[in-house]
Amino acid sequence: MLILFYLFPIVEVFRYSLTDIRLDKEIYSYGISAYQYVLSNPNFWEMLKITIIFVFASMFLQLFFGLIIATLIDEGERRNLKGTLVVRLIVLMAWVIPGVIIGVIWNLFLSEANYGILNYFIQLLFNTKISFLSSQDLALYSVIIANVWRGTAFSMIILYGGLKQISEELYEAASIDGASTLDKFFKITIPQLKPVIFINMVLITIYTFNTFDMIMALTGGGPGRSTEVISLNIYNTVFGHLELGRGSVLAVILFFINLSITLFYYNFVISEE
Amino acid sequence: MVRDKLKDYILYLSYAVISMLFLFPLLWTLSISLKEISEIFSYPPKLLPETFKLDNYVQIINNSKILTFIYNSIKISFFTVVGTLAVTIPGAFAFSRFRFKFKKPILFGLLIFQMMSPLIIAIPLYNYFNMIGLLDTHLGIIFVYVAIQIPFTTWLLKGSIDSVPASIDDAARIDGCSNFQLLTRVLIPIILPGISTAIIFNAIQSWAQFIIPFILLDNLNLFPVSLGIYNYQASGEAITIHLTAAASIFATIPTIIMFILLQRFIVSALTAGAVKG
Repeated sequence: MLILFYLFPIVEVFRYSLTDIRLDKEIYSYGISAYQYVLSNPNFWEMLKITIIFVFASMFLQLFFGLIIATLIDEGERRNLKGTLVVRLIVLMAWVIPGVIIGVIWNLFLSEANYGILNYFIQLLFNTKISFLSSQDLALYSVIIANVWRGTAFSMIILYGGLKQISEELYEAASIDGASTLDKFFKITIPQLKPVIFINMVLITIYTFNTFDMIMALTGGGPGRSTEVISLNIYNTVFGHLELGRGSVLAVILFFINLSITLFYYNFVISEE
Repeated sequence: MVRDKLKDYILYLSYAVISMLFLFPLLWTLSISLKEISEIFSYPPKLLPETFKLDNYVQIINNSKILTFIYNSIKISFFTVVGTLAVTIPGAFAFSRFRFKFKKPILFGLLIFQMMSPLIIAIPLYNYFNMIGLLDTHLGIIFVYVAIQIPFTTWLLKGSIDSVPASIDDAARIDGCSNFQLLTRVLIPIILPGISTAIIFNAIQSWAQFIIPFILLDNLNLFPVSLGIYNYQASGEAITIHLTAAASIFATIPTIIMFILLQRFIVSALTAGAVKG
């Protein structure tokens, strides 16, 4: 089953990438013209730049907010505060909502029409509107914000799991030595959490490279091609322009990105054990 | 003591801010879904609808295919879960308990598949499904969904079976259990929590799956709910905003209810994953 649905298709994608095949024609010939075309196309490098900004900005912000929220919830639990469970639930809700619906929700939220509530508040405060989704310069940031909103939950819960493993005794010992809260955070929490942070980073990076549905619903890659990340680019090349060969070249590139990050992850997990 | 109390208040304040940030976009969508069309475009926008009307919901149920979409999603998710478990439970058992050739490379291969974008396999599958007539069928996409779920689920269940001590196997064997009986009568009942987690994850992911049906389905009557909503969004002018909002909320409710009921399993599975790496 896996061979049929994974191995075989992957081999096929490699084969297509070495042809000039189109979806609407039967005849094709072999050659490296598709690679030449893709790699010499300035749009490709622009798309790669957009993808990399999207992935790394999302990754850092998700990690950052995930760590803050996880620490706050963990601190609350250590102090037996009420409501930690509810906060955790609310944050995680963003993670179970289908990506398409997240795109729709953020579209409503960021819109410049009268129902775009965020712009209403901005107008009250600064007397101006921000074209979150219709400006080529800003759309990418809006997509990143929506993606961070969606992905922080995952980061938070993994890091929260890591925090639960840190023994209370370490903190008690530090308290006796007179360490401040910030000292404890930077000298105990962060070092103890390092492997989990690393794993989290790798996983988010892969997931974000593969993001498709949310962007499709939020901006569709536009305006222009300002939010067209690699997966959308592949889709548009194959099913929009029917350029199966060229699209497969891009798919091969995505495959190697996925593969190299997975190898990195695997080696790390092995070396940890 | 006073400082401690202050810290508590700061924490509570941070909880309020976090909850607001995560709830507000959702609540805004909910609010839009309950408004009349004129109210949506009025300025200034109102946080709450003037009258809470379920008209939009009634309208999408009567005049659109939302119920068909939801039925399709339930059907596809159900068969995906069943199919995935049927493959992965024996698979995980084998990976956990037996030694065989190429075991490590296969497990690593599974990991690569898990990390790979489904888009990559969808491209050639589109061509082949077209040839063998599986394009635009539920059967076709259920196969692909199952294939997508297998890697993660195998790793998950292998982890559960690994945590059962081998002495239990030995005891069962002494009592005359075959491998099959060992798995069905002894191990499956023990790893039931792991299986529940697998069911939840598979169901949530199948419900949200978009890229596969987006490429492999064309007939509106076969669309799962994620694709249906995208269709409202993509084809809809601003005039149908309230309906898109209502449909989104409607489609999200099942996952959220399931999530709240079962969140303990989800949280423990995710955090256990973090510890194991």
